[in-house]
Amino acid sequence: MFVDVRVYPDFYEPINADPAREEMRHEVMDIHKNGTAKLEHIKNQMRLAGLDRMCLMAHDYLTEEGVTPVTNEEVRQLVDLEPDRFIGFAGVDPHDPEAPGKLEHALDDLGLAGLYLHPGRQRFYPMDECAQPLYDICQVRNKPVMFHGGMSWEPHTLAKYGRAVEFEELAETRPDLRICLGQLCWPWVEEAAMVMVKHQNVYADTGLLYFDCAREFYHRLLTEEVPATWVDRSLRHQVMFGSANPRFEQIRMAHELDRLPLRDSTIELIKGANALDFLHGRE
Amino acid sequence: MVYETSFTMLTNQYNQYVIVTDKVEQAVRESGIRNGLVTVLSRHTTTGVTTNEALECLESDIDEFLCRLVPEDHPYAHARMLKDYGSTAGNPTGHLKSLVVGNHVHFLVRDGRMERGGAQEVYFCEFDGPSERTFCVQVMGE
Repeated sequence: MFVDVRVYPDFYEPINADPAREEMRHEVMDIHKNGTAKLEHIKNQMRLAGLDRMCLMAHDYLTEEGVTPVTNEEVRQLVDLEPDRFIGFAGVDPHDPEAPGKLEHALDDLGLAGLYLHPGRQRFYPMDECAQPLYDICQVRNKPVMFHGGMSWEPHTLAKYGRAVEFEELAETRPDLRICLGQLCWPWVEEAAMVMVKHQNVYADTGLLYFDCAREFYHRLLTEEVPATWVDRSLRHQVMFGSANPRFEQIRMAHELDRLPLRDSTIELIKGANALDFLHGRE
Repeated sequence: MVYETSFTMLTNQYNQYVIVTDKVEQAVRESGIRNGLVTVLSRHTTTGVTTNEALECLESDIDEFLCRLVPEDHPYAHARMLKDYGSTAGNPTGHLKSLVVGNHVHFLVRDGRMERGGAQEVYFCEFDGPSERTFCVQVMGE
């Protein structure tokens, strides 16, 4: 089982019948010239990457931007179209007073698998009061929380909200809540490793490629910034494959995993077993 | 007289050689033009259009030749974040293979038919798939 734990379905054709919404998504994500993608193309992409499943993120920027780029209902719609391939994550805005109710609906009625939050875009720190009720809801239901950590290419984002050390208190105070530090909170990847090595409920994904090609960047990220020995010995049960597609290149990133100087068993954990633990909890 | 049409398809491999001869011949027939020139033109910068013999061995040799000429493992300057796209450019090899193969072919049109040699097929070449691709066919003549 090979899982991509963080994918943004903003440009999937079935949810882009309205050209105005598609245009809004291009602006909000600052992703252009890519058009929309038919599901057949998405499946081709998954096949070439070797992927079995993808976690699709809804995201809600109601307070800051006045829009919800991808709604929970749209993610549910996509999951219904490919239930054996897609896993849906809910997105709510922590500053929205209705967020707890929306999250309960997404998890209980729409059956989504977890919560996605973007501190840098939604302008909150992980320990802010506004987010605590959302964590309560996830914790009671044994659902994980995926965070976009560190810097973000999306406009109007501030990296300071997603610095790795900001998640330490959350990990400390909620050991039963599984959280993922998206993109290893780059550039604070050593800080992310610090939080992860102490807190087993903290995961991280590999969904970043801000410089170079996948081969060069993954080599630097996962053998130098975070030494391969750290990943292979201490963090092997907490690192997951993520691509942040369509921002980055899912296929090449997936292929580069196999070239990292890690044990085969570690690669297998990164590809799938850790994602299953993140989604459902460790046995 | 000028007749123009286009075809859109989903490619499903990273490097792929798709025979589109039938589509070009269809366009020539539909144009009603008896004598002139037909052009097949890709709308993309990481694809190619060419003509060659449709043999599995040749497709393999062409692919191997292009991959040797333009290796994946090379420090290309194009591997970087592109602000206009908001994404990382990871397809320098596609651009360079496109440069080598070219983005169009011409054939003569005689007596309402596309004039091609017995071994000549028209290939649409994908060098950064999978993707949705479009090529244009223009028939000029009388």
